[in-house]
Amino acid sequence: MKRPKKLTDKKSVQNSTEKRDRNLDQNLTNNLNKIKKELGNSTDLVIREFTIGNNPALNAAIIYMNGLVDEQTVSEFVLESIKIETPEVETATKKGIFDFIKTHVLSVGKINVIQDWDKMILSLLSGHTIVVVDGCADIVTAYTKGGESRKISEPTSQLVIRGPKEAFTESIGTNAALIRKRIKSPNLWLETIQIGSVTQTDVAIMYIKGIANEKVLQEARDRLKGIDIDGILESGYIEQLIQDHPYSPFPTIYNTERPDGVVGNLLEGRIAILVDGTPYVLVIPALFIQFFQSPADYYQHFLMGSTLRLLRMLCYTLTLLTPSLYIALTTFHPQMVPTRLLISFAAQNEGVPFPLFIEVMLMEITFEILREAGLRMPRAVGQAVSIVGGLVLGQAAVQAGLVSAATVIVVAFTGIASFAFPSYNIGIPARLLRFIIMLLAGSFGLYGVAMALFILIAHLTSLRSFGIPYLSPFAPFIWADIKDTLVRQPLWSMVLRPRLVNQENMRQQGKDNKPTPPDESKNN
Amino acid sequence: MEKAKVTGWQLFVLMFLFELGTAIVVSPGLGAKKDAWLAVLLGLIAGLILYLVYNKLFQLYPDLPLTGYMKKILGKYAGALLGMVYLFYFLYIAARDLRDFGELLTTSTYIYTPMLVINAIMILAVAYVLHKGIEVLARTGEVFFFALLIIGVVGTTMVLVSGMININQLRPVLEHGWKPVLETAPLTYTFPFGEMIVFTLLLPYLDHPRLSLRIGWTSMSISGLLLIWVVGMNIAVLGVHVATRSTFPLLSSIGLINMSGFFQRLDIAVVMTLIIGGFFKIAVFFYGALMCASELFRLPSYKGLIFPFCVVILLSSMFIADSYAHHIKEGLVVATYYVSLPLQMGVPLVLLIIALIRRQS
Repeated sequence: MKRPKKLTDKKSVQNSTEKRDRNLDQNLTNNLNKIKKELGNSTDLVIREFTIGNNPALNAAIIYMNGLVDEQTVSEFVLESIKIETPEVETATKKGIFDFIKTHVLSVGKINVIQDWDKMILSLLSGHTIVVVDGCADIVTAYTKGGESRKISEPTSQLVIRGPKEAFTESIGTNAALIRKRIKSPNLWLETIQIGSVTQTDVAIMYIKGIANEKVLQEARDRLKGIDIDGILESGYIEQLIQDHPYSPFPTIYNTERPDGVVGNLLEGRIAILVDGTPYVLVIPALFIQFFQSPADYYQHFLMGSTLRLLRMLCYTLTLLTPSLYIALTTFHPQMVPTRLLISFAAQNEGVPFPLFIEVMLMEITFEILREAGLRMPRAVGQAVSIVGGLVLGQAAVQAGLVSAATVIVVAFTGIASFAFPSYNIGIPARLLRFIIMLLAGSFGLYGVAMALFILIAHLTSLRSFGIPYLSPFAPFIWADIKDTLVRQPLWSMVLRPRLVNQENMRQQGKDNKPTPPDESKNN
Repeated sequence: MEKAKVTGWQLFVLMFLFELGTAIVVSPGLGAKKDAWLAVLLGLIAGLILYLVYNKLFQLYPDLPLTGYMKKILGKYAGALLGMVYLFYFLYIAARDLRDFGELLTTSTYIYTPMLVINAIMILAVAYVLHKGIEVLARTGEVFFFALLIIGVVGTTMVLVSGMININQLRPVLEHGWKPVLETAPLTYTFPFGEMIVFTLLLPYLDHPRLSLRIGWTSMSISGLLLIWVVGMNIAVLGVHVATRSTFPLLSSIGLINMSGFFQRLDIAVVMTLIIGGFFKIAVFFYGALMCASELFRLPSYKGLIFPFCVVILLSSMFIADSYAHHIKEGLVVATYYVSLPLQMGVPLVLLIIALIRRQS
């Protein structure tokens, strides 16, 4: 299996610090000075020194980063409780007071005892509060992570009409909880590692033990461990560093911001990769067909779900092929177009100064510009852009005879069709390849389109996502898995999990789940 | 050989696409006039029997392709020499199919495009797929099998519904006796059924070797029956005179479809069929040639050979004949009796006999 090339050399990334003592000092003042020095006297570092009880010899300090911790937790459960005066404090030794704080005083859920300097710095920067007692080379860290984060809100890029309205947030803890809330099983396991030599970003693998494919799981672990980079800013970094085919425009890793989408995939035996700082959770292995499945397909009637799925596949084909077919048919194979339509095309094209290929190409590029501008522009000028873009460019260009109306229709149709996929990143290859196919259609007509399709499908069949063929269950053809692809069979008929993804523990529901109304004749 | 496995279904699909390939458009057996379908049937039966021979050889040497067991049976040098012959044979047939393909496209739709360009694009696409390996070829076949199925079902329904079929055009059966049928049967055997010889190189990839006979027979039978249907349909639609004179009878008969002025000019469906079938036929022969060469020269991978073979096939497809008539004539006479029959029928039979004798002693 190909591994993405290592981006950076490990040595160059890590600070080439001189060898120094990586353990904590006994002396409190030394420790505090060292921390201050290490963090460059950063002003968001908060150090609160105090004495415990009335014993002036018992100096201590708590340290935390402003904004990373929940101030209330720190003051109520750490500061307040430590300053409480009890008789034990008066007589205790330094070591004794440390143990006392650890076991009796700190009323925070999660605490740790650390001797290692680097670990202490990491937990400080992760939002823990650190309690240092003079004369002890140990410290206690209290879990007080908090600070400002975005509230759980509705999904912005994967909307459904029916289904949960929660989306992931930027906090990995919240995201993991959103998933766990939906799977109350002890078999839902979570493994966290830190990736990024500078950012130390939390990356978690989540899977259901016993359902997830062990081979894929091990492969995912290995690939994540192989990453050596200074920073992970978004799950896109991880995706690019662990995918099977870095040069293919097709995504071989699925991403979603919907917890219910992740849960569905986990139940099918897939593995989720959560990255701190982004609401987009990665799901592996991903199949091509998966990008056309929306969670809502499973919530509504199977006929509707299936129809919509077919519609999306149709839209994909149309996005990819409409402009090329338009070019090929009108310029190379006019005999295939019904005569009246052909005459209408010809009449429209009369005054247009460009060859049809150039005309379509120009309009397609214009559309892409509008799309990109629409995404980046400030909200306030949105109206202006849509009026100028939609009306002026479209209407006026046709009236001025620069493009024919048919071309505008084709381009607009392609544009609308390209928004119909439930997953944004499957549209990207269609958007890109559309231009190449148009070029082939402009040079060789339908033959060029057919050859492009051959190469495209051969390329798709050659892809693998963590060992699973990308175009399965079509190629290789697996009859058992067809149930949830182009159409979605009724829920009660999908007794087994997808075969390629999950090899053991196949049964996902009972065999006779089909609802049967009570027999009328018996009641009477 | 690559490290790859092909499932039974994939092999079935590859054989199916391969058999129909160019044959469905060119319509073999028209030398027997109205009884062309009978000639195809005889060819099919001969093909099924000969497939038994290929299959027996495969069962005797389940891990080896044709060139491999040839060396075992005939000895190192004779086997290698014969392997060379097969290498050139597969290259030649690939070039012939490419020529067929280019001819159809240039005569039907691309009148002004040079055939070299058409052929070059085709062979480049084939090369891309072969570069990805046999598994990708097989999976691509699975996808296009469904495409072909849809085209076939739609086309057949259209022909049936539009009422162009006149069954009387096929009668009387055996108007001129058995002679023309028997004379044409060798042609229909060598093209397309005998061409299954190239699958002796692909059978070792099969994941369940014991299924090889069943897969081969069902695939050949189904594609053969379809071919019989198409040949018969062409005559029933066009009449025997037009059908025999037409360069591409299927193109002519499908082109006649006109339903309520909307479903008409479906020629493109035929062209698509040929593009799909031709693609796989050329690809399988190309792959056969690559396998022969890598086996003969003991190459670890055939990938380095793809480009040179590409050029060889492309250029031979251009220089193989001056005109289409010449090309067809060569195919019917020289290629059939002096090249295809010995290599498809003679050599495997001799190989099997020697192998069996050796096994006994």
